[in-house]
Amino acid sequence: MALDTDRRFSQEHIREFKDGEIVFAEGDPGRDLYIIQDGAVIIRKKTEVGEVDLVHFKRGDFFGDMALLQAIPRFASAYAKGPTKLLILQPGGFLLKLRRDPTFAFEMIQQLSYRVKTSSEKFLEAVHKGRISKEVVAEILTHSEKPHS
Amino acid sequence: MMTHAHSKRMVVISDLHLGNPFSQTRTKAVDFLRWAARQDFDICINGDGLEIAQASFTKLAVEIPDVIRVLKELNKMGKTIYYIVGNHDIALEHFLEDWGALKVCPFLNVTSGDSRIRIEHGHLYDPFFVAYPRLYEFCTRLGGVILAIAPEAYRLWISFERWRARLRARRTGIIGEPPQFAEAALELSRRGFDSIVFGHTHHLGQIELPTGQKYFNPGSWLLSCHYVEIDQGRVSLKNWEEAV
Repeated sequence: MALDTDRRFSQEHIREFKDGEIVFAEGDPGRDLYIIQDGAVIIRKKTEVGEVDLVHFKRGDFFGDMALLQAIPRFASAYAKGPTKLLILQPGGFLLKLRRDPTFAFEMIQQLSYRVKTSSEKFLEAVHKGRISKEVVAEILTHSEKPHS
Repeated sequence: MMTHAHSKRMVVISDLHLGNPFSQTRTKAVDFLRWAARQDFDICINGDGLEIAQASFTKLAVEIPDVIRVLKELNKMGKTIYYIVGNHDIALEHFLEDWGALKVCPFLNVTSGDSRIRIEHGHLYDPFFVAYPRLYEFCTRLGGVILAIAPEAYRLWISFERWRARLRARRTGIIGEPPQFAEAALELSRRGFDSIVFGHTHHLGQIELPTGQKYFNPGSWLLSCHYVEIDQGRVSLKNWEEAV
């Protein structure tokens, strides 16, 4: 085998995390995208009632996409769950990754679509149960129709 | 669109090319599918199961109904049959779905035991197919004419590809394949896959990638009856005629 891994993967690197170690914190300015090679990751968000688990990611999943795609600070914090190995893609390497691994783009769109569906379902459930007022619903829908700036 | 599956036991075959002038695989394929079902395997046909680019209509009409019949039989028995679309099947995607016996996927991420396995036809990594799709199609059709006259020409072509690969200074991957296939497998392995299975090239083999993961190609049933077996996460390349 003569695959030159050092040159080929110069714009991405692998990092290992211990159980509970923080990958990034809410509000951090990072831009990297993470793919879980091994282990798992929990995403937590600070709220008025304390830190809440938003989602658990498993092997093969990716996270950190919001900061990469929208150039915004980290929306929530990420913690390793058990010993975890992450592939970290720098912004410059992201498009290169899509070129070399075209099905990754497909899987990203698929996961993002799934996340939109899940969020919409949770939102609708909250509306049906009367946890959200009509005024708040109207405000959210108005804002979601605006294109991002 | 389905791209994920859980399976304790699965067999993967590739490139049957039913209907191809060179193809003698119909009876064997039917027997294999029945055997796999008896052994309680899920079945994955990893692209180019049917041939339209090089097919003679008469051959297609003879070969396909038998296979459809057995697939429907297996489906009724509760077996899951996954069909990954290959470059010879792109135009047949809706037709394949309408059979009702198959779960048609662009690729499949299989979880088996603790392992994650990527199964993909692999034509996306063929430099000739990607760079010159129209020329590729023309050459495929031209190959069909040659095969109709002299089916054995196919065996000569495959031998030529293997010899050419042996002479190349930069030997990467399974012998006979362009290096882009092993590179693509390496790229995928970094996304948390333990094994990668491609088809498309018709070159049978397996290699260990620099990351320690494995890359398999069960070759084509035009040449030999090899399959990839997934058993509780363990992945191996086997010859069906030897296995039975």
